[in-house]
Amino acid sequence: MVSAISKLLDRFGGKANGRALKVIGASGQLGYGVPEPALKEGLSREPDFIGADMGSTDIGPYFLGSGDMATAAEQTRRDLRRLLLAARSRDIPLIIGTAGSAGAAPHLKRTLGFVREIAAEEGLHFRLGTIRSDMPRDVVKGAIRAGRVRPLGNIADLTEAEVDASANLVGQAGTEAFIRCLEQDVDVVIAGRACDTGIFAAIPQMLGYPLGPVVHMAKIVECASLCCLPGGRDSILAVLEGDGFVLESMNPARRATPMSVAAHSLYEQADPNVIVEPEGTAQVDRAHYEAVDDRRTRVSGARWVPAAQPTVKLEGSAKVGERAVLLAGSADPRFIEGVRSHVEEVRQVVAELVTDDGVPDYQLSFRVYGIDGVYPWPDPPKVQPREIFVMAECIAPTLDRALAVAKTTKQYLLHHGFPGRLSTSGNLAFPFTPPELVAGAAYRFSAYHVMETDDLAGLFPVEVEML
Amino acid sequence: MKLAELARVVRSKNAGPLKLTFDIMFEDEKGYQAFVQSPTLEPARIAGLYGVAPETVEIMPYPVALAVKIVMDRKLPSGSPGDWDVYGAQQHAPLLEAEW
Repeated sequence: MVSAISKLLDRFGGKANGRALKVIGASGQLGYGVPEPALKEGLSREPDFIGADMGSTDIGPYFLGSGDMATAAEQTRRDLRRLLLAARSRDIPLIIGTAGSAGAAPHLKRTLGFVREIAAEEGLHFRLGTIRSDMPRDVVKGAIRAGRVRPLGNIADLTEAEVDASANLVGQAGTEAFIRCLEQDVDVVIAGRACDTGIFAAIPQMLGYPLGPVVHMAKIVECASLCCLPGGRDSILAVLEGDGFVLESMNPARRATPMSVAAHSLYEQADPNVIVEPEGTAQVDRAHYEAVDDRRTRVSGARWVPAAQPTVKLEGSAKVGERAVLLAGSADPRFIEGVRSHVEEVRQVVAELVTDDGVPDYQLSFRVYGIDGVYPWPDPPKVQPREIFVMAECIAPTLDRALAVAKTTKQYLLHHGFPGRLSTSGNLAFPFTPPELVAGAAYRFSAYHVMETDDLAGLFPVEVEML
Repeated sequence: MKLAELARVVRSKNAGPLKLTFDIMFEDEKGYQAFVQSPTLEPARIAGLYGVAPETVEIMPYPVALAVKIVMDRKLPSGSPGDWDVYGAQQHAPLLEAEW
């Protein structure tokens, strides 16, 4: 049986040769729903391969640390089934990156479990390639000692202790890892944590398309039709040809305009002019965006600058404790007026009540929505809000401990006395009971650093299995 | 002038868990130029609005999309205890309140 990637490479005679390569970006976040009409339209265009991204760090440190997925199992399976059936029906490669939201071992395992179940249920048989992204801790520690790890912003230098504290520690696999996996003659690639560009850049790079436009294309289509007007989740088609590519949403209501595509370079990026990858950088500052018609835009002009030193972006998450929250509102103007001092007084009272020595073994914080819950404003609002929402958050070594602190906090905040108090039967409105909720384990990003490496391939092992 | 009267998009988001990025996009060249050339658009002013160090604030005009990008360090990594906004999608409000 000839694999989907072999068929594709054969079709092209192994090289671009001036031919067009059709790429479908099916989803920017697999597991929240892949719209079927646009995917069907994409398939009717006879694409050469399908790619989808499945995760990111946007969702916060919990998912990387805990191994849980951010998306629901039921919806994730539905999306995976849709893409597997689509790719296998045309016998074209399917490439999925950052399995299970965060791409560490438990996320990859769960995602591969779904893929195997779906294959069995649907009677699909294919060669499944996987890329593991968990970083060997001894390698990272060695790099720390050698001064080859640096922070990517406002976070402390990575230490060996922080490596040990991390529940999961992954690296972002680059295009190199995807190519190595595809070279194993596979039909489907499921990668752990990966650069979203690697998903879409690997096959074009194998065929020799120019890397500047390839990486630029990859960075845009990994968000599906988000680069369009209006932006959305529908599949997008990119046709790579010559020195550029043409973008077209597979939903007729979405238009890829020169302005909407150029503006997409801003999205969630620190610098719209460069796309930094483990193997180099795509400079897009001199890119051209021209309308093909009112729904399609041609993009060209990005340049590729190879990196002198390959690097890997490290992401780690460490457990902080167990979290309980208290949810309550207030509509009392006197309570609202002094709410910041009320919660501080209650914090003191609670510390005395729930400990023997007054020294908390927990963190208790209050968000007062209506005042400063979303942004830490330096000044109170000019007009006092009619209502506020108060969320107390307790992080403690155990869940029982966190709940105990939240319950005492609830009672003392409800009945807290203060000068001028009118509403002496209670300061708070609870939307339901119990108003104290278990929020599960709390995590923090322990690593977001870049590590120099001379062995990219050694960090991202590839395996193949027959389904 | 307030940004809500000047711009068609004013948004914030994480650029990775350690940085916040703000995109201010304009309908036309006139609005874009008015903002880009405003003497109040400088890192120290933005740093003052957000209570961060001026050297961590970067302002990048992006004329091809009639947009200005502002990038700054997050005070806390996304989702660490005490963070206000895990996605960083609601940190643009101080830009809306300021006069430009």
